[in-house]
Amino acid sequence: MPQPLKILLVDDEIVRAAMVEEALGQEGHEVVCRLQSPASLNEMVARHAPDVVIIDMESPDRDTLDSMSLLNRENPRPVVFFADQHQPDTMQAALEAGVSAYVVDGLVPSRVKAILEVAIARFASFQSMRTELDKARGQLADRKRIERAKGLLMKHQDCDEEQAYRMLRKLAMDRGQRIGEVAANVIDILERLEKGL
Amino acid sequence: MTASRIAGLERLTLGFIPLLDAALPIIAREGGFFAAEGLDVALSRENAWSTLRDKLAAGLLDGAHMLAPLPLAMSLGISGTACETLAPLVLGRNGNTLVLSRRWSEGMPLPDAGTPDGQVPNARNPAINARDFARRLGDRGGPAPRLAMVHPFSCQHYQLREWLALGGIDADQEVELVVLPPPRMAEALEAGRIDGFCVGEPWGSLAQHRGNGHIVASGAQLWPNHPEKVLGVTAAWAERHPEILGALIRALAAAADWLGASSEHARQARDWLALPPYLDRAVGHLETLTIGTGPVQLRIDGDLRPSAEDMAPMAAHIDQALRAQGGRLDPARLATCYSPVHFDAATHQDRA
Repeated sequence: MPQPLKILLVDDEIVRAAMVEEALGQEGHEVVCRLQSPASLNEMVARHAPDVVIIDMESPDRDTLDSMSLLNRENPRPVVFFADQHQPDTMQAALEAGVSAYVVDGLVPSRVKAILEVAIARFASFQSMRTELDKARGQLADRKRIERAKGLLMKHQDCDEEQAYRMLRKLAMDRGQRIGEVAANVIDILERLEKGL
Repeated sequence: MTASRIAGLERLTLGFIPLLDAALPIIAREGGFFAAEGLDVALSRENAWSTLRDKLAAGLLDGAHMLAPLPLAMSLGISGTACETLAPLVLGRNGNTLVLSRRWSEGMPLPDAGTPDGQVPNARNPAINARDFARRLGDRGGPAPRLAMVHPFSCQHYQLREWLALGGIDADQEVELVVLPPPRMAEALEAGRIDGFCVGEPWGSLAQHRGNGHIVASGAQLWPNHPEKVLGVTAAWAERHPEILGALIRALAAAADWLGASSEHARQARDWLALPPYLDRAVGHLETLTIGTGPVQLRIDGDLRPSAEDMAPMAAHIDQALRAQGGRLDPARLATCYSPVHFDAATHQDRA
């Protein structure tokens, strides 16, 4: 059994961070989490002395990590961006999942790769969870918009609900738009009309 | 996403960091200059230079607004994964400010604006404030002040070092250098996490406007008219898409011509930059896009042609870093990276 590694996790997404922390903990690693901390990342690295830093690709803190080995010549734990030239697929998967790793220079690449793969899998499943959630939220918002647009059409076109809905559906088909988008347009136009603009 | 043709338009994604010298791609998109060249360009705001760099190298971006030294550092494999990268166009010259917190800059004079033609960018010697800072360092003692810049391979890093050297200050011993992305500078200064920084506009003037610090030197004082940002594309991408690269160069050049044509255009450009996907509230303190005014001397309305000679000041720093590790900078590599051939070919076609 290899020595557990100390991992610093830098991620503002609370749920995702918990997923990654849980999974890496199961692999026997020690995970230090950092969530929305305003403190300097330099100090976090100095204090925790991690072997690996797993960081959200979109985090502004990446530049701080990227420069550490170049700037802090006396830092006992310089970190370098992990990009294994022999594993371009892992790098591509990491970029697409939005996760990157910085490691202490000299760490065995296979160990880093194993950790990165665990993080990639959790980032990817979080991404699909969020896509599903966004879709569900969008559908809910669309339904509300369609109701409002129907109401406005019934008032302005003096028609019933069924006719109002058919009107929206025809507009959507004619324009090749989603019915939710058409509803938003209808609301926009009819509300402006009501305000006399 | 590599370039693809959709409905007669070439679809591209360009990365940028929120800064005034991201103006040309923003103007080219909002003003229709990309569309006029048959390009449908999405602009992707990035949070960190290293992320923009890695996305470009991996092909997730077709091109990017880049720190001028970065394409060379990528080509040399000393920043991120080794990736041959080209800088076929200069997106901006000058524009950097060195800001110190109120505590450190009290009473220091503003760097002089100099002459409008940029020939004598400062009547005032930047060493005056640097020596003053050195004196204050000596008087105060205590922990070394923490100064931020934007990336190890940036003009901001090199200019900060050169300015400190003018005051006889050892950048590795007497101050602590840290890296922060540009949009974080003003808030970090306000919160007291850093004592000063060197950054591109509008972040320096914003910190001064908010009263958290003073501009004590400018990049234009140290390196007059140096290329500050370039368009960056990978050599592989440029080889695969020579026509698209030509169209990109012409669209950006047209945007620069339009910007330089009237002060009304500079106002319109500021309004475009103020849109939420770009710089948003960060330009709220500017009435117009500040071009050519002191002490910053930002230039984004012309002189877009790259050349290896223009890169001399930053190439010297990179050469020095390579020599420290027993290597040296190959002039042929520098010449390839900042070659004007793509620019000349694209703009020549335009005239023909």
